Amino acid sequence: MGTLTQSIHVTCTTAGIPLHLLYGGRSYTVKAEPQRWYVRRRWWAEEHRAEIGHGPGLVDYQVWRVQVGLARAKNAPVLTLDISHHVESGRWRLVQIHDALRLEETA
Amino acid sequence: MAPTFAHLNVTTAYSAHYGVSWPEELTAVAAAEGAQILGYTDRDGLYGMAKHLKACMAHNIAPVVGVNLAVAWDPSTTLDGKPLPAGRVTILAASAATAGYGAAKKLGAGYQALVRLISLAHRQLDHTDTPFVYVSQLAAAAQGGPDLFVLVGPETDVGVFMAQRKYPQGRSRLKLWKKALPNGSAQVEIVSHMALPTARLSTSQAVRMLRASTDLKLPAILTNAVRYATPDGAATADVVDAARALSSLDTLTDLQPNGQGWLKSGVAMHELAHEIVRDAGAGTAVAHELLDNTQRLAEACALNPEHDLGWGQPRVPEFDIIGIDGDPNTVLSQRARSGLAQRFAHLDLAGDTYDQVLDRLDHELGVIQNLGFSSYFLTVAEVVEMIEERNVRVSARGSGASSLVNYALRISHVDPIEHELIFERFLSQDRSTLPDIDIDVESARRHEIYHAIFERFGAERTTLMSMQNGYRIRGAVRDAGRALGLERDRVDHLAKKLWRFSAADFRQAMEHMPELQTFAEQVQNSRKSGNQQLDLLVDLTERLDRLPRHISMHPCGVILGDQTLLDRTPVEASGMGLAMSQFDKHDMDPMGMLKLDVLGVRMQSTIAYAIDEVARTTGETINLEHVPHDDAQTYAMIKTTHTLGCFQIESPGQRELIGKLEPESINDLIIDISLFRPGPMKSDMVRPFLDFRQQLAPAHYPHPQLKPILEETHGVTVFHEQLLRTFDEMTGCGLAAADEFRRRLGTDQQAEVETYFRAKAMENGWDIDVIDEVWHTVASFGSFGFCKAHGAAFAIPTFESAWLKTHHPAAFMAAVLEHDPGMYPQRLMVAEARRMGIEILPVDVNKSTTEMHLEWVPETQEAPEGRWGIRLSFNTVLGLTQNEMRRLERSQPFDSLADLRDRARLSKKSFEHLAQLGAIDSMLPATGASRTDLVHHLEFLHSATKRDRTGRTLRTGRPQVEGQQAFTLGDTELAMLPALFPQPTDEQKIRTELDLTAIDTTGHLMQSHQPYLDALGATTADQLLKLRNHTRVLVAGVRVATQTPPMRSGDRVVFISVDDGTGVVDASFFAQAQHATGDMLFSTRLMLIEGTTRRTGTRGITLQAIRAWDMHDPASLPDPDYWDTQRTHWAQWFAGAPQMPAPTVVHQSQLRQRVQSQRAQSQDVRTPVRYR
Repeated sequence: MGTLTQSIHVTCTTAGIPLHLLYGGRSYTVKAEPQRWYVRRRWWAEEHRAEIGHGPGLVDYQVWRVQVGLARAKNAPVLTLDISHHVESGRWRLVQIHDALRLEETA
Repeated sequence: MAPTFAHLNVTTAYSAHYGVSWPEELTAVAAAEGAQILGYTDRDGLYGMAKHLKACMAHNIAPVVGVNLAVAWDPSTTLDGKPLPAGRVTILAASAATAGYGAAKKLGAGYQALVRLISLAHRQLDHTDTPFVYVSQLAAAAQGGPDLFVLVGPETDVGVFMAQRKYPQGRSRLKLWKKALPNGSAQVEIVSHMALPTARLSTSQAVRMLRASTDLKLPAILTNAVRYATPDGAATADVVDAARALSSLDTLTDLQPNGQGWLKSGVAMHELAHEIVRDAGAGTAVAHELLDNTQRLAEACALNPEHDLGWGQPRVPEFDIIGIDGDPNTVLSQRARSGLAQRFAHLDLAGDTYDQVLDRLDHELGVIQNLGFSSYFLTVAEVVEMIEERNVRVSARGSGASSLVNYALRISHVDPIEHELIFERFLSQDRSTLPDIDIDVESARRHEIYHAIFERFGAERTTLMSMQNGYRIRGAVRDAGRALGLERDRVDHLAKKLWRFSAADFRQAMEHMPELQTFAEQVQNSRKSGNQQLDLLVDLTERLDRLPRHISMHPCGVILGDQTLLDRTPVEASGMGLAMSQFDKHDMDPMGMLKLDVLGVRMQSTIAYAIDEVARTTGETINLEHVPHDDAQTYAMIKTTHTLGCFQIESPGQRELIGKLEPESINDLIIDISLFRPGPMKSDMVRPFLDFRQQLAPAHYPHPQLKPILEETHGVTVFHEQLLRTFDEMTGCGLAAADEFRRRLGTDQQAEVETYFRAKAMENGWDIDVIDEVWHTVASFGSFGFCKAHGAAFAIPTFESAWLKTHHPAAFMAAVLEHDPGMYPQRLMVAEARRMGIEILPVDVNKSTTEMHLEWVPETQEAPEGRWGIRLSFNTVLGLTQNEMRRLERSQPFDSLADLRDRARLSKKSFEHLAQLGAIDSMLPATGASRTDLVHHLEFLHSATKRDRTGRTLRTGRPQVEGQQAFTLGDTELAMLPALFPQPTDEQKIRTELDLTAIDTTGHLMQSHQPYLDALGATTADQLLKLRNHTRVLVAGVRVATQTPPMRSGDRVVFISVDDGTGVVDASFFAQAQHATGDMLFSTRLMLIEGTTRRTGTRGITLQAIRAWDMHDPASLPDPDYWDTQRTHWAQWFAGAPQMPAPTVVHQSQLRQRVQSQRAQSQDVRTPVRYR
């Protein structure tokens, strides 16, 4: 299991559920219904401000656990990834890769 | 249409240290979402229910009411026979439409059961003092329709098992719940905050709950366990969680797993239902069922406030309880007539004058009868009679004094005929809410009276009113600091500098207030160095603003009702033991509750005590009702402005006003008290009045026809009564309507009042100039001004206290020390007594008692005449317990140290403290030993490591535990105590006294600074009066008062009073001086102030401060040659050289608007406002 955070590009359904993702120059398709949860942040140690009206995303962030496969290789092994979504900026990051097979470091 | 969702588990800010959003915010969010039903389920009570109902009605939302309570399994059902905690459940009241009406008529069975259950929970606290109910009690309360629905959710034992993935245990526990609760009552509450699958409030926990509900055929409903209206509140919830646990966020163990506990939209909740059901592997039908169940439950609990809980329907004690036999109107009329005859016994009861009085009485009675308030007046009269029977001083305060009926019933003691008070100011046909009759009683006997009221009307009809105590700036910064893990001392230090602005304005105050400049720099510096803690401290403090922390008994509210009272309000124990309602004063009218204001007034106790002391020492009986109100000596004393200790006229501002106004009659006192209000002070009503008084200007009347109305105040409109009469005179609208117009002044309806006034006055032929002038007065008078009845009710105790201070100074000052009626610290009153030549006698184990009493001081060589002194009471000694005091008092006199040791049975600390204070000096052995010898000997006995007084270790004894009773103090040791140490010096004595009693008895605490102050050339308070206006001086003293009254300009002026032993100096700090003083403006106790004198009258002088120093910080103090170094500066100052104007400092109440408008301006001209 590897831990890294890298920016990735994710395309979602209209309901906001991840469908495709672009990572390391390759395109992946989400294979199964992804799971989602919200993870707490130690915001008092990480943030500079917490004023009233700071908005969502101060206390927690959204994490999706997706099972993906390469879009162009139907038989490639399925990967389980945790990707985080910063709702305000719309940016996605790769948080964790759960499978034994590690992606090659490209960055 | 977007789907809606009824949130049934919603916590508001009224769940102290748990909820963070106000009912109004939550309701507004729900309304914006199109919700039709909204729940309210605070922890442990209905503290915010009335606000929820009000907000719901405003938004046309049907309210659901419930509570979140801790529950335990009955000992009889557990294996070990002990109560087994079952977590917390949310309990909803079924509506009357669903479950019918209860035993108490016109009250929903569900609401009634809920109220009784909450009161029951508060009667049985668990080991953490948390109210709880047993499951059996809950089940019994839920019987009926069922009357209550119980949501078994994630906070219950079932929920905890499910979060721990112990499905079988959770399921069997849920089975127990099903069995225990009446049919249809138990609902499984499904909540997912979409936390990590391993955490609580995760979807997997929700899935297991859902599965168990299906297994056991229990209905499942969906909630979001809401703690905040919007996602933004999540951080605030974290902070209150930390505050509740007295912990920092870092070390907090039960942080919420994430920030998803907000009032989510209908769409989001529907999606959530589907997500949970999908994860459970069930079909969409299950999701629909979950949502349908929720909606059905919401509908079964949707209350109609009028039908379910008697919204807005007043309930007063039953007639037979008040002692009314027959028609209350007739009874009231009879009692008032016979009372009136006694009050006006001096008049010819058949004469014309008395007829006029009777006419007025009939007019008042007519209004009271029409409004249906007769029984209310009889109730108040009953209470007053009960108080008088107990020989407790009692009087009505406020507009109640305007009523002749009140005067006749002895509720008030102000003659409304003599003082020309207007009944309509108090009550009229046009007002339908119950009038407030405020009753002042002796504070020391207030609890006794409350008990008597409970007894008289029955505990089922009586309860105390409560009040919410919310976060203010200092408490907020302390709790925010702890949440962030900041050092306590550091936060305390900051907290002391913060002065009365709202916590929500912290950042603005920081940028603006001179005393926070150093803090603002610290924030900036730490921000630059990458430390965000101080910025967060400011943000979190602002988040806590006004959030309720706890409730306490209201200082004067007693609620009276009929026998259904305890079905309508939950009660809990108050600090004094009597039951206290969970509702506050804002809830009284809507909840149909009748509130009596019985306020304990310390001055009433002070007066009573002084009279008793005079009787005890001289045998003289004083009846203040017979003392003429024109006593010249009393007014002579008042005019000296030495009015410390007197009611209403001891504050710095009042002393200044009195110096100018020089009152000579009770009417002058009424005017003085009425003028000294924010309104009149702000609208400059005071100056024209004083100008006339000092014969600088003639009285001016807008029109001769108005002269009779305004003559008593020389043409200035001071009283509400004058405004009403003027209005009536010019428009002919009648006094009742005039009062309604007055109430609209200062609101957005003022323009309508103006239109009416102008039109009517024109119609009646008034000159346009007169109309303009009078309207100008009326408009600037605004809604403030003062009701003369109020002023008159205050002026009487003011006169009485001044009369006592003049004629019985020692007894009065003893009473002031005993009952602490005023705004100043006790030590200032000791200084004042000393200034008056009254000897202050220190605590003495043989002579002190538990009260401050007068003691005859025989003549000595220095003082050839004997006189009365004040012996300080045992209560002044910090740390002495009530039991120790009682034993001391009971066992007096003591003839030796050994005797004291044996019979008083003091703890070591107390013995030592009394020895240090010299309270045992009279029993020191004949060896010539001093109190220092005794203290050292005691310390030596008490230390764990025994050393003799040369420092040699003798033996190691058992460490002594503080507060331990018995100790060895041998008779011989005491008798033989050798004299080694000298008596402490006066300075040492004073320091000890301040440490142990907070009162400097031997001398004034400034004494030790005298050499430096002499070298510096400082002026004392008594010399100040001899100086000319605009003399530049240095004064030093102990801060005794700090005030920042609202100013007309909206700027902040800080008034600081210091006492130096010769009197009090009042100094005003305007913007420049505030900037020059900076940091220590509000935090330092001993101050050196530079300023110029300002004469305020023949006997008044104050100081306009230039800057101040902290006497505790010697390094910062000016050198003794300070005056020399300032000479050039002086010369410039005298020459009137232009000075750099200091930026204004706005008043704390104006922070928000003013700072914002300044910002806007500064952006316009591109010159940023900078301070320093």
